[in-house]
Amino acid sequence: MAQLLAALRPIVNYCVGGTLVGLAISDRYFSLAAVHGSSMHPTFEDRTGEYALVQRSGLARYDFSRGEVVTFVSPVDHRSTLVKRLIGMPGDWISVPETSEIRKVPEGHCWLEGDNGSVSWDSRFYGPIPLGLVRGRVTHVVWPPHKFGRVDKRLPEGRVMPQRHF
Amino acid sequence: MGTGIQIWSTAKTLATGAIIGLTISDRYLTIVTTKGDSMHPTLTAADSFFRGDVVFAERGCLDKYKFSRGDVVIFKCPSDHNKDFVKRLIALPGEWIRIPVSQEIIKVPEGHCWVEGDNADRSWDSRSFGPIPLGLIKGRVTHIIWPPSKMGRVERKWPEDSAICSVYLQVNQPKGQLKP
Repeated sequence: MAQLLAALRPIVNYCVGGTLVGLAISDRYFSLAAVHGSSMHPTFEDRTGEYALVQRSGLARYDFSRGEVVTFVSPVDHRSTLVKRLIGMPGDWISVPETSEIRKVPEGHCWLEGDNGSVSWDSRFYGPIPLGLVRGRVTHVVWPPHKFGRVDKRLPEGRVMPQRHF
Repeated sequence: MGTGIQIWSTAKTLATGAIIGLTISDRYLTIVTTKGDSMHPTLTAADSFFRGDVVFAERGCLDKYKFSRGDVVIFKCPSDHNKDFVKRLIALPGEWIRIPVSQEIIKVPEGHCWVEGDNADRSWDSRSFGPIPLGLIKGRVTHIIWPPSKMGRVERKWPEDSAICSVYLQVNQPKGQLKP
């Protein structure tokens, strides 16, 4: 019995160590996320088992750019994480679709919209959200294999006037 | 050769310790230094080395939605996500708050909360930037661990008096009547 335990010990050590390293990497650098819903069609289609690679290391350096797909904590339910495209940065002017309203994105906030406007619940309804809610940037779709590839930056035409031109 | 192995083994232990520390700090409990006067007298700025009280902040509250009125919380500033603030949580989603200056009453939106500093005159809080999403909260302050004269639990406290704000609980409210 003692021999069995002694033999198992290194395996347990490696498993625990691996889990810790995995957790630390997932919290701070890269993680995989399952994506649901059709609000980001065609970038993500609503099917089971679509996975995206989420990069978190850009947060501290305030490294976002317009047109990126980001993950963020829902402003109405802090236990859910949503995925949308970042359209506006602080100071930008946004033309709200279906109205003649122009809104300015406040300091420290951003404007998010889904690629599939007709079914997307996003900033057009709940307004700009604080950048503090953004958790990471989606860089690639990793599963299913026929959708494998980078997620590109894209901006809707004629709707965003940036405060600064980079 | 012996030293080489020893150094490697020490390095491994240090690395493991660092990763465990990081994971605990991100997910369970962390130590934070506070600055500023907005939470006086609960938390005070000081001339000491740390420039303020050092506190334990627990993060277990985040998943299980275990916030309560009166908790002191740490959250990301809504207008600058690189800064963190410490304030007391005054109202939860669905509760009613009277805004002091305009005397207007608003309902705290779903998924948001209302935060105020204990030292109302010197506090920049929800009375200025409005209710904040619960997703901005990073942890709940449980204890002060430095300086020794202030060591101890940070208690859940009810804000003193309706001079600052009144919270009307929405539950069990008979029609036409508001109970403080």
